[in-house]
Amino acid sequence: MKDRKKLLIYKILLFAFAFFIAFMPSTAMRSQEVNSRVIVEILGIDGKDKISLTAQYVMPTDSQESTGKDTVTVTGDTLTEAVETLNTALGRRAELGHCSMVIIGKDVDPSILGTLMTATDVTADVWLSAAEDNAEKLIGDITDFMSKTGATDADFIAYSARKAHIATNTLLGFLSDLGSASKSAYIPVVQMLEDCSGDGEQQGGESGGSGGESSGGTGGGQEQSGSSGGEGGGAEQKKNTGMCVDRLAVYADNARVGILERESARGVAWASAPIEKGIVVADIDYGGKTVKNVSGRLLKKYSSVKIDAKHERATVKIKAYIEPNGDKFNEIGSSNSEKANAALRAGFAKQIKHEVECAYADTVAVNCDPLFVGREFYRYAPDYYENGYVYANIKVDVEVNVAIK
Amino acid sequence: MNQSDTAAKEESVGKNESAMDVGDTNTNMTKQSTGRQLVAIVFLLALATKMFLLPIFLIQTPGRDAYIAMSVFGAFDLLLLVMILIAIKISRSDFFELLSSVIGKVGSKIAVSLVALFLLFKLNICVAEILTFYGTNVFTDFDTSLMIVVLLAFFTAVGTHTLRSLCRLNEILAPILVVCLAVLTVIVIMTAVDLANIFPAVRNGEKFVSGTFHHAAWTGDFTPLVLFIGRTKTKKHTGIYAAASGLIGTATAVFFAIVLSAAFGNVTMLVDSTTNLSSILQYTSGNVYGRLDMFSSILWSISVFMEASLFFYAVCRCITYVIGVNKHFAVSLGVCVAVYVVQVFAFLDLMRFSIIVSSYACSVIVPTAAFAISAAPLVCALINNGKQRRKSTEAKGDAH
Repeated sequence: MKDRKKLLIYKILLFAFAFFIAFMPSTAMRSQEVNSRVIVEILGIDGKDKISLTAQYVMPTDSQESTGKDTVTVTGDTLTEAVETLNTALGRRAELGHCSMVIIGKDVDPSILGTLMTATDVTADVWLSAAEDNAEKLIGDITDFMSKTGATDADFIAYSARKAHIATNTLLGFLSDLGSASKSAYIPVVQMLEDCSGDGEQQGGESGGSGGESSGGTGGGQEQSGSSGGEGGGAEQKKNTGMCVDRLAVYADNARVGILERESARGVAWASAPIEKGIVVADIDYGGKTVKNVSGRLLKKYSSVKIDAKHERATVKIKAYIEPNGDKFNEIGSSNSEKANAALRAGFAKQIKHEVECAYADTVAVNCDPLFVGREFYRYAPDYYENGYVYANIKVDVEVNVAIK
Repeated sequence: MNQSDTAAKEESVGKNESAMDVGDTNTNMTKQSTGRQLVAIVFLLALATKMFLLPIFLIQTPGRDAYIAMSVFGAFDLLLLVMILIAIKISRSDFFELLSSVIGKVGSKIAVSLVALFLLFKLNICVAEILTFYGTNVFTDFDTSLMIVVLLAFFTAVGTHTLRSLCRLNEILAPILVVCLAVLTVIVIMTAVDLANIFPAVRNGEKFVSGTFHHAAWTGDFTPLVLFIGRTKTKKHTGIYAAASGLIGTATAVFFAIVLSAAFGNVTMLVDSTTNLSSILQYTSGNVYGRLDMFSSILWSISVFMEASLFFYAVCRCITYVIGVNKHFAVSLGVCVAVYVVQVFAFLDLMRFSIIVSSYACSVIVPTAAFAISAAPLVCALINNGKQRRKSTEAKGDAH
């Protein structure tokens, strides 16, 4: 056979093979495969010894429209067992790759989150949030709120990550922080804003849960229960009007050690989070009087921690570019802009310093280091870190430099 | 011979068989690659497998010092590259002729057999990485033993074509790969991974040495370039450009290793074969770039196909030389069968692959063999040149 003929046969065979691969049954039937899955949008984890997993999900249908959002809660001895039970509870393979937020309950050991990343389809860039107490309850409330407002996924936490003064964290970022020499990490606490006026909608009972009760399951004896709504209507119903994300849950040594209130949470955001936007409100001393509540918009900020192992000192340095806004600034700056700028710089710097110092004071009390001072000692003075470093012994200073734009 | 005859013969060499196969190894017609193609191939070989799964394997052992281990491998390979480039520069014979002229025909066949074995082993490492990457990241439900058939079909095509075809294919793909790398670099820089996380360096020296030593099988990526000796149209500065290309490629690989080490240095136990360049973006930013990263990452992975095909081509040509029969299709099929058997029955289990590749024997033999293969043509070329100088001196003396 001539070479040209051989080549032709070879090309035909190659084309036939490519055609077969492209249109082989599993490829051609992919649309059915999508319908056999369920998309999990938010995942909640509760429990310590026994893991409870709550999923907010939607189910794709043949008509290319998804069902409404609903939730289901399953339990298992381990996280992987709970994920398996989730598939059983929903009767379909739970697609965790589209999960955009994981909510952590109060008692959860954060070390199990590594399993979530390595043994399931949850991606490393999923946002983490903390429930003050119970993730299952919070996901139920979020689902109700989303059903009413049409909000999708974890829009609110994604917004907070970029546009607000909130220290957010991804799954990988959190685990990396926790695995660092500081052994500390933070997650924003999400809570529902409630209107207790009594004219709220009757929400219990009607929406119901989808999981229902089922015994058995793959894990053997796991409980499964629907959880969306479910509470009977009372005389006075709380109505969820929005979400509040202004506190931080802090973790150290694989446990939640506390919740930072707004001021300290802002301090952590200044020092440790890559925040892009935010509002600073400060009292400005100018011309012998104090102008209350002058606000400024954060444009850009840089932060670093400088260490001095010899003197056991660390300095948190922050450089912030702030654009003052509002009529109060115009009032201050109308006569002497240079002096006004100096007063604003000093006022904003004082406020930022106060917030960072609050964060340090609150966290050192629970031996947690979300400012990552320990990490810097480990990086640049590893011998000192390994032999004599004690977080509580370090004198932490804060230096803030504000530039007015 | 006029110009049209030369072009016709060049074309016939390019179309059918390798230059060596037409029995004319030392003329201008045997030059199957240009200097530019050599530069492109050097760049690709410098970073293809080094940027693929190696950083992940390294992070699992020396941890945040993975980038230092990568630098060590890079420096070692650059040394081998320089030796090969010098051989390309000073030798007018091809690799097989060089060996044959110094150690005799039988000796050269034995030596080339060993070279073929080495290249086959390196080829299998490449293929195992490709299958692991695509099996865990792209086609998760696709049977690997079937997936490899597609790859082997491509290899067979490579084996039956010439070095010139391979160089041309690489020349077409190289700009695309460079663009993908540029996109990935920009995204990685914008992701703002805390690069200071690579510190402190080498806190556990024993672990670092052990981890580096047990991944030495990833050295020797430039060894297929020995086939370019005597078959490349070089200009005055081709060697310098090729060396610079290798340096830039190595620096790129080290840069990505630094980023990965910084991103995963604190969580080395979470790194697995699904962790790739794209995962860097998951560190801080959330998914704000769409899947541009994944697109670039997948497209970039073509470079590993090119490296594997170059190894495949080199294995086939070595075997052809040893058996002395120009049956390229049959030889390619034979090598494909060997690769299939190794991959499906030995390397399919990732654990077994790791144990074999990181074994003491592999860690000693691979770098030693890589050094020997790179140094041999240089030594042979120097000996040959010495002989020729002596001959010409003697001839001049006789004339006088």
